[in-house]
Amino acid sequence: MLGNKKQKVLIYLALTIAAVLVILPLMWLFFTSFKSRADLAKNTWGLPKIWEYSNYITAWTGSRIPTYMWNSVRATATAILLTVVLATPVSYVVSRFRFRGNKLLYLFFIAGMMIPIHSTVIPIYTMVGNMKLNNSLEVLGLVYGAFRIPISIFILEGFMSALPRELEECAVIDGCSTANIFFKIIVPLSKDGIVTISILTVLSSWNELLISMLLISTPSKKTLPNGLMGFITEYNSEYTQLAAGIMISIIPAVLFYAFAQEKIEKGMIAGAIKG
Amino acid sequence: MKITKKSRLTIILFILPALIVYLMWVIYPIISAIWMSMQKSDTLHSSHFVGIENYISVLKARLFWKSMKISFIFIIFTTIFQVILGFFYGYLVYLQPRGYRIYKILLFVPNVLPSVATGFIWSYIYSPSMGILKPFMEAIGLGQYYISPIADPKLALGAVIFAQIWCGLGVQVILFNSGFMNIPSEVIESARLDGATGWKMIKTMVIPMSWDITKMVIILQTIGALRSFDLIYVMTAGGPNHSTEVLPMHLFVNAFQNFNLGYGNVIAVVLFILAMLITIVMRKAMERESLYN
Repeated sequence: MLGNKKQKVLIYLALTIAAVLVILPLMWLFFTSFKSRADLAKNTWGLPKIWEYSNYITAWTGSRIPTYMWNSVRATATAILLTVVLATPVSYVVSRFRFRGNKLLYLFFIAGMMIPIHSTVIPIYTMVGNMKLNNSLEVLGLVYGAFRIPISIFILEGFMSALPRELEECAVIDGCSTANIFFKIIVPLSKDGIVTISILTVLSSWNELLISMLLISTPSKKTLPNGLMGFITEYNSEYTQLAAGIMISIIPAVLFYAFAQEKIEKGMIAGAIKG
Repeated sequence: MKITKKSRLTIILFILPALIVYLMWVIYPIISAIWMSMQKSDTLHSSHFVGIENYISVLKARLFWKSMKISFIFIIFTTIFQVILGFFYGYLVYLQPRGYRIYKILLFVPNVLPSVATGFIWSYIYSPSMGILKPFMEAIGLGQYYISPIADPKLALGAVIFAQIWCGLGVQVILFNSGFMNIPSEVIESARLDGATGWKMIKTMVIPMSWDITKMVIILQTIGALRSFDLIYVMTAGGPNHSTEVLPMHLFVNAFQNFNLGYGNVIAVVLFILAMLITIVMRKAMERESLYN
């Protein structure tokens, strides 16, 4: 599909410029994380003179980064569980059953996609405070999950509507109950759709800062983005250890991307095309 | 399927939990925000109804209009750059030069990084003591004039926009790329046989055929930019001198730093209305089926 040689060179040139612009800041972070402070001051750009692994040890043991990561896992897992458990049955009902108000119910749910989470932070903050539920990772996950319901129903409804109905019809004739059809036929067939909504939930919950900052103040309960903010202030002048801490913090996200790259891309496309 | 007596209970049980959570954590808060925007708090736990008083004080506030302006500049510039660059790189990747997968993956990596990490990286790149921008300035003999762009009210917004584009571009590349992949290859092939190449091909075939995806990217990007908070909070927290205080940041500062909840809720309502308006207006404006007509 490529044109002549000159075009080819230009294409690679443009792609390479963008790739370098992406990599350079990350390389700088990587090299900085292995330098000593004296080395960094003299030599901001280059390779470390001596590779200081100790930065990583200090950042890992001297901070709460491992705790923050675990907390993020908990909040994100809660959000996924909630979204999947709540959105899947609703999507099944609105995509399969004819009843009055079906369309309305569906529209009511997906209308939530238009609500910016920022518009709701003050009431959520007040509500959680009144119920004395601050500093709970499960409540944080609940808020994340609740805000994923609209888009998840949207994606799953589309997905389920496209599934063939023959199997269910046979099951109905055989006297299978609605719940059985849902668990034995619909859920297994919708696996890809469920994976998609889970991945999108991970992407939005793992890096969320604002709600986490408002609902969680106990240091031992902070999620990764929230905790990193404190870490950055605390290590303000220790650039090299700071860089090591940031490196550690991006590893889970990068690994997740490396393993689920194609699924993430598909998920983003599915979420976008329908949104 | 019709609902039978037997399945009715199951169906109610299927809908109810989601409905309760959704009503309690999404719908109630937004209604409550609208309600609270018409309240003035007297003490920590009591307030009284003041109607549109809060709205008037917001509309009279100079900083509110400044924040509106900054939000719009932020939205317009990130959207223009991300859509154009996203289209361009999405197309280059679509041409599938050797190794295109690696480029596609690389361009997307910044998207998955926590914005706190991205914000940190860019703050330090811009910083005078450790940054990698300073050596550039020194090389052209301007080293002593270098100040961090995020510390300069005139440059801060541009610097933040640049960082935002850096971390957001990958999504557009992937979306455009998938849009191009959906163009039937026979169409492209026959256009090629008719002599369409390079720019002509893009103008006459690719842009019209991918209008749907372009529309969608523009809407998504605009709404996304309206909601930007994390990266800006990490890099500048709205400063210096409010020069990067987009609306969500303005809300945060007023509600949680100045503890003016009424004012904050008015901004929340403004954000909500803007999000709805942008979605509806842009959809209407771009409704034409394709660019062929």
